[in-house]
Amino acid sequence: MHIPDGFISPQTYLPAYALAAGLWGYAARRVHRQLDADTLPFVAAYTALAFVLMMVALPLPGGTTAHAAGIGLLAVCFGGWMAFLAISLVLAMQALLFGDGGITALPINALAMGLVGSFCALAAWKLLTRLHETLALFLAGWLSIVVPAALVAVVLGMQPAIAHDAQGAPLFFPFGLSITLPAVVLPHVLVGIAEGVLTVLGYRYLTRLRSRLAA
Amino acid sequence: MNRDRLLLCLYLAGILAATLVHDPVWLGAGLALVLLLAGGDALRLLRRALLAILAFNAIISLSYALMAWWQDISPWLTLVRLNLRVLLLTSLTFLFIARANLFRALDFSKGLTYVLGLAYSQALTFRRAHEDFRLALASRSLRRPSLMDRYRASAAAASWYLEKSLHAANQSAQALRSRGFFHD
Repeated sequence: MHIPDGFISPQTYLPAYALAAGLWGYAARRVHRQLDADTLPFVAAYTALAFVLMMVALPLPGGTTAHAAGIGLLAVCFGGWMAFLAISLVLAMQALLFGDGGITALPINALAMGLVGSFCALAAWKLLTRLHETLALFLAGWLSIVVPAALVAVVLGMQPAIAHDAQGAPLFFPFGLSITLPAVVLPHVLVGIAEGVLTVLGYRYLTRLRSRLAA
Repeated sequence: MNRDRLLLCLYLAGILAATLVHDPVWLGAGLALVLLLAGGDALRLLRRALLAILAFNAIISLSYALMAWWQDISPWLTLVRLNLRVLLLTSLTFLFIARANLFRALDFSKGLTYVLGLAYSQALTFRRAHEDFRLALASRSLRRPSLMDRYRASAAAASWYLEKSLHAANQSAQALRSRGFFHD
């Protein structure tokens, strides 16, 4: 789902940075209210956890693998703003410390995966958990992948219309919405199933672990 | 302004410039400048950048060439511009990572530096552990592991990461509290 550098026009990433910066500031203030010796290391730990969850390969039938993101799990367990900050920090770390991902794509990825993904997951969890907890967790994981993928597909697909030369040739990502939407969203509908299962199992495991640590 | 913050500002200005320029000649000149700045590491930097972008750019370029052929338009300018820009941006990022210390560049915020430092050190530990888990599965399997074996291995790795991150958070909290981090 990550967009590498060079495919997003400045007409897109500069406003996205302005929006993301405002939201990062707001999220930091929200988290900062609870920030003390207990919460600060937890932000770091969740960031490292999100980083490593993105490295865990989820095997798919046929020999291929997809990568977990852990967005749904982070949002359900630790709240939307914390998940947004953790995912944004992971993306920044990947771009600026490990050279993976892109600095121009960072705000788009952070807004899509960190903000929209986290809050979609949280909404599904809060709305459905009283009806069926497992279904709510599964949908939280599934939505945290599929909705950001759709958003990323829309941003990519808009690039030829936003940035093109006098002859109409694209300056950045060259394919329109008719190609990006099916190409990006359809595989993520399947990846979302694996992410949903990870969210259900991860939540159960984390709940058990927390009660064991508290005891 | 310290050296690393200056490098960060120059890097961000370079990124912006590389996305505002659309002439392949200028993009090529930018890439040549980055390689010149890399000095003796130029070839290694170029190789690393090429490997990093190879898979994604090959798919995009081939698909676009096919679409252009189908629509009877020339794809060359778009393909050269796109690939040069991506290569320039990736090389610039790798050069920045090699030359600058991000932690010193961001030291205007104590909280941000601490979170980034803690997260980075744990991420490095986890990355090493991830490689160890992968090698452990490979070394204990005579044949290619089955789908179920790979599920079990992924689940075991994920549960180790969850447990480790909770323990690490508790340990860091105790360390910060004992050193009076929040009362400095």
